[in-house]
Amino acid sequence: MGGGGIVKANPVLKSASYALLTIAAALCLAPVYWMIRTSLMPTNDLLSSAVWPAHPAWSNFAAAWRAQPFLLYLWNSVFTNGAIVALQVITSSLAAYALVFIPLRGKRWLFFAVLVAMMVPMQATFVPVYTMLSAVHLINTYGALILPYAGSAFGIFLMRQGFLTLPRDIVDAARVDGASEWWILTRIVLPNSKPTIVTLVLLNFVYHYNSLFWPLVATNTTNMRVVPVALSYFLTQDAGQTLQWNYAMAFDIFAIAPVVILFLIGQRYFVQGVAQTAVKG
Amino acid sequence: MAKAAEAVIAQVEGERRFARSRMSLQITGVAMMAPALLFLLAFVFVPMGYAVYLSLYQSTLYTPQPMFAGFANYAHLFAAPDFWQAASNTLWLAVGMMALSLPVALVLALLLNQRIRGRALFRAAVFGPYVIPLVSSGLIFSLLFATDGGPVNLALQRLGLSPVNWLGQGRTALLSVLILTAWQFTGYYAIIFLAGLQSVPTSLMEACQVDGGGRWQVFRHVTLRALGPSLFFTIIICLIQTFQTFDQVYVMTGGGPDGATTTFAYYIFEKGFQAFNIGESSAASVILILVLACLSYLQMRLSRRWVVEES
Repeated sequence: MGGGGIVKANPVLKSASYALLTIAAALCLAPVYWMIRTSLMPTNDLLSSAVWPAHPAWSNFAAAWRAQPFLLYLWNSVFTNGAIVALQVITSSLAAYALVFIPLRGKRWLFFAVLVAMMVPMQATFVPVYTMLSAVHLINTYGALILPYAGSAFGIFLMRQGFLTLPRDIVDAARVDGASEWWILTRIVLPNSKPTIVTLVLLNFVYHYNSLFWPLVATNTTNMRVVPVALSYFLTQDAGQTLQWNYAMAFDIFAIAPVVILFLIGQRYFVQGVAQTAVKG
Repeated sequence: MAKAAEAVIAQVEGERRFARSRMSLQITGVAMMAPALLFLLAFVFVPMGYAVYLSLYQSTLYTPQPMFAGFANYAHLFAAPDFWQAASNTLWLAVGMMALSLPVALVLALLLNQRIRGRALFRAAVFGPYVIPLVSSGLIFSLLFATDGGPVNLALQRLGLSPVNWLGQGRTALLSVLILTAWQFTGYYAIIFLAGLQSVPTSLMEACQVDGGGRWQVFRHVTLRALGPSLFFTIIICLIQTFQTFDQVYVMTGGGPDGATTTFAYYIFEKGFQAFNIGESSAASVILILVLACLSYLQMRLSRRWVVEES
């Protein structure tokens, strides 16, 4: 996305734009600000209306850290989602290569199947998937968290979009020279698709790190909890008793930190990835 | 003669080799598709068929022998008030998102499409909420809307109004879920609109200006028209996402009070995972898949140039 349609603004419109954008940015950041503010509130001050604690209780972070095995949850999340994304890069790039560079019979139908798979959410298939995985005793294991997402329709779609922008001649020339498809994929196509791969890795890692639904269904012990499941227990388990909002928010900051760091590092890829899936023409 | 025969033999040989290499290329292609397709088959297509099958049987996780029930599960759903409540909650959220989130996203995209300082920073701030886990923001918004000590009620009290039990009453609970969802996704939609705006060729705008078009004319005839595809795309994506709404409802309200915030996806979860009514849960899944299929079909039709770009 080049700066194609960027419009020159006149001074009045410009100041109005700044004002509106500042308000929008403030609205987006305000909840995050309140989270940080509350995480620093001393426990006996939780009902106070102060916009910033008079005596920030940094010890809340230590208390929240001790109260829950966060590193275990983080490890569960990073390991399973790392495995998911690694498998997706492998399966998706192989499939996308076949769809783009090999004159496969019935290719249109294969791609149609990919598009259909892309629209079916786990919320609609979790009962059968659960039944199947429990038949092979995989419920409450890493396998249950990883395997259902090892193939990704979205991944195939994104990689295909990326591969289509590569010049075909290079692939054909390599083939005439007797190069194997594997060689072409690993030596020519993949090295020239780094931005697409990074986009896939970032978007899908964050997507799976964030999602609660399937891990909630597929695991049931503390040992197997991933970060979103651990977070959800704050409200559902503590219902009835008063929630320690300061500890909950401190824990929430631990949970959000990894994705915020990834977003700040790879912002360009997130924005491009979202734009690409929408209006790539 | 011999030479000609040799030539013919060589040609046949060559064709055969070519055919063989075509054949092996086909095999390689199928082998490369296989891993992804097998996973999709095992975890998307087979479960989809299995869900249809389960929806025709009366069964719970604990009944060893499910009984064939025909369309009884569907009939039960259509007769159940809580099913229609979940459907109408979901539609209410979708309409709310279209009324609240999409117009704001459009304005943000137009603002971000200008040559102004700090553009990247504004864009990051607006898009930021999208990368935060819904569970985390659900937790944050539960605090914001907390009856005691929540900043929303603190502000109301400062204005001399009485505090509201936001998450404890049907209408306000659903409104709270809507506000969180809008906060989370508006920046995402703005980025989609922005990409649509930036695909408008500058030459087209200049041409319109040269022809004496004012700012408004350029906007109406060039910008808005060019936005058409991404507008439709976003409306449908927004519907699809609303039908999957689960995480934020699970943490903020648990579908309550009295089913007031139970969405379609949450309903399926409740029926299947808490009430263990596999038959009805699967019937609801099948309906969800049909709705999403219709929406995805529309989306594909509307964005032809997006899908079929290979000539």
